[in-house]
Amino acid sequence: MRYLLSSLSLFLLIGCASYPVQNGFEPKSDSPKKTSNPYFSNARKDYVYKAKIDAFNRSFGGIFIVKKLGAEHHRIAFTTEIGNTIFDFTFKGDDFRVNRILKDLDRKVLINILKRDFKALTQEHSPVKKNFVLNTENILQTDILSKKHYFYYNDEQLNKIVRVDRNKEKVEFTFTNIDDQFAKQIEIAHHNFKLHIALKAFK
Amino acid sequence: MHKILFLLFFISISVIAQKEMTPTEAVALKTKVKTRAEAISTVMSEFTQYKHLDFLSDDIVSQGKLAFKVPNLVKWEYTEPFAYSVLFKNETLFINDDGNKSNMDVGSNKIFKQLNQLITASIRGDMFDDNEFNIKYFKINDSSLVYFLPKDEQFSKFIKAFHLTFNANGDVIEVKMIEPSDDYTHIKFTDRVVNKTLSDAVFTE
Repeated sequence: MRYLLSSLSLFLLIGCASYPVQNGFEPKSDSPKKTSNPYFSNARKDYVYKAKIDAFNRSFGGIFIVKKLGAEHHRIAFTTEIGNTIFDFTFKGDDFRVNRILKDLDRKVLINILKRDFKALTQEHSPVKKNFVLNTENILQTDILSKKHYFYYNDEQLNKIVRVDRNKEKVEFTFTNIDDQFAKQIEIAHHNFKLHIALKAFK
Repeated sequence: MHKILFLLFFISISVIAQKEMTPTEAVALKTKVKTRAEAISTVMSEFTQYKHLDFLSDDIVSQGKLAFKVPNLVKWEYTEPFAYSVLFKNETLFINDDGNKSNMDVGSNKIFKQLNQLITASIRGDMFDDNEFNIKYFKINDSSLVYFLPKDEQFSKFIKAFHLTFNANGDVIEVKMIEPSDDYTHIKFTDRVVNKTLSDAVFTE
């Protein structure tokens, strides 16, 4: 009984603990003022990826395209392999515009999910709220569209972004196969529903 | 001023280069394509695809192969820079995305079907369907350029126009699909081989 109670209280404690506490982050005092995500920061580059999307037990592919058009200004499009546009969004400062979306996908809920994901994916800088360390990793906490995001850096290289809501991991963005400031492989995994986006750079 | 004159000069050149066909010429083209089509049982071709989006610095280039067998087996296979194929068989679309097989796709289904119909029909020679498209005929030197503007309102929100280019023999050598935004996909066919035996294995799902 005592064991049960102590396990229960431990469970409750951990369950209610903040995301940094759950993961054993150590607070760090000196911190950069802004997060930095260099992976879509070159306006001279066309970022083109083959995409595989698993959504709600359906799987489909396409081409995912990102272009930086200016400071805090990105265009993001998704087309079929043959080139027909499925959706096309513009992010400019705090503005978000749907240039085009396939009628079947024109649902407010879906557009909001994509908006949140792609904003977090492409936003180059965001004010740091807190700074932590975990082993060799430096972790910066920031808010993107009013949600907590944790940016994981190893040797100053961004390799993961985690969106946290009510102390739980909701979405994980991982950057791998990094060549200079170009992430050749990117995954966006949602934990609270079945949506997984895998991106692989064309070249 | 010089720049304007220079521009006008080139505009007038391009106007001369692309001239609308007379009704007689249009009928002659249709007949030529149809006659050619009746003698075709298989087609194999390489293709290069250029996806043009106005906001990009360069077109997105991919390459692959097209295989056709009468009456209506068509396989599009992208080989570079990714492996992806679409097979039209028995009114179904079979997709192989780098080993992941499925027989549906979002959005592309209807587009691919329409494109497939156009390609198949153009090879068979019965593509000039005035019920489905507003059709305009042009000639450019030895080749012919035909605009197909979908009449279906829903479909024209996907694709504003198909532009097909035929060589002097009446073979389709280029397809351009133009979206309502004016972004387009331009596919150029090369190394076309006609009537070489094509085993059914090429069209296995």
